[in-house]
Amino acid sequence: MLNSQQRDALRELGNIGAAHAATTLSTMLSSNIEMEVPEISVVDISKIHEHVGDELSALVIFQITGEVSGGGYVLLHIPKNSVIRLTNAMLGMTELDRELTEMDESALLEIGNIMVSAFLDATATLLSVIMLPSPPTMIIDMPHAAFQTILAMQEFAEIDQVVIFRTELHSDQHKISSNLFLLPNKPMLDEILKMLENLMK
Amino acid sequence: MPGPDEPVVIVGIGEFHAGRSPMSSIGLGSCIGLVVFDRDRPIGALAHIMLPESQGRLERPAKYADTAVDLLMKELNRQGCKTSSLAAKITGGASMFQTFSGNLNIGERNTDAVRSHLKRLNIPLLAEEIGGTVGRTIVYYPAENGKVSVKTANGILKII
Repeated sequence: MLNSQQRDALRELGNIGAAHAATTLSTMLSSNIEMEVPEISVVDISKIHEHVGDELSALVIFQITGEVSGGGYVLLHIPKNSVIRLTNAMLGMTELDRELTEMDESALLEIGNIMVSAFLDATATLLSVIMLPSPPTMIIDMPHAAFQTILAMQEFAEIDQVVIFRTELHSDQHKISSNLFLLPNKPMLDEILKMLENLMK
Repeated sequence: MPGPDEPVVIVGIGEFHAGRSPMSSIGLGSCIGLVVFDRDRPIGALAHIMLPESQGRLERPAKYADTAVDLLMKELNRQGCKTSSLAAKITGGASMFQTFSGNLNIGERNTDAVRSHLKRLNIPLLAEEIGGTVGRTIVYYPAENGKVSVKTANGILKII
């Protein structure tokens, strides 16, 4: 589905996007953020559970809108314990053994908006198009349940393989880890690949 | 939960498994975990259904409600189960998001489709844990008379 050159180009694109997202997170937390090399995986739908599991997490989900055809989603995934540390770090709190509250949810929406806008903005600038995030939807539940529901929605229904793009961002100081996922459907992936190819000419 | 020695077969999206060992689907959202089991013997099957209709597609019959129900019945018949002994339990079919465009009531449509195909084949639906807005991880234990454990993200475990 992807050759190695396309993989490299996508990884580079993701690298730039994720670096911008990491910078915003670093500013919000006043701490260093480490970023892993982005992973590009072509995953059969039956194996998605090997990439995202069922541990309680927060997911802030955006649909990609703007000048690109097709459909796609950006997901910010943060496991429950990291959500609590993240809110605590932002609001100067220390209690770790607590449930998620509305306060965590509004902090997450805010962080998600800023990070994902930065991510899309940087990738769109490189591609010379406009990509905008939809208003976010947040769920606190199983990541796999969110992924499969997205795939079951119209734009993905007829395919059996998806390209999952994932970058891990973490703060060692605050012990926070998060993942940024980009989930383009086939038409959007094809268009992005075409734009990347033109860029490299 | 199964013991450490008991292998659990993971049934991913669009897959199925039939047999005697415990089987599990992780993080069902709008998908349906369909269990069809033999009421007289410790054997049964699980399908992880993603969409209501195959629209003529032949590959991955467990992915679609209209083909999955027949598939599990045939597979269990092949393994020696009488159709009259079969019964079903269903889980999943949730609505995870409220705000995106697209196939919003996909969970509900999956549920309706599975129910109607069970009815068409005269397989009684004995229990269900369906709908709502929560993800579910399920484990089916053929050795325990069709027992299905359903776990949600907040850690609540229910046996149906």
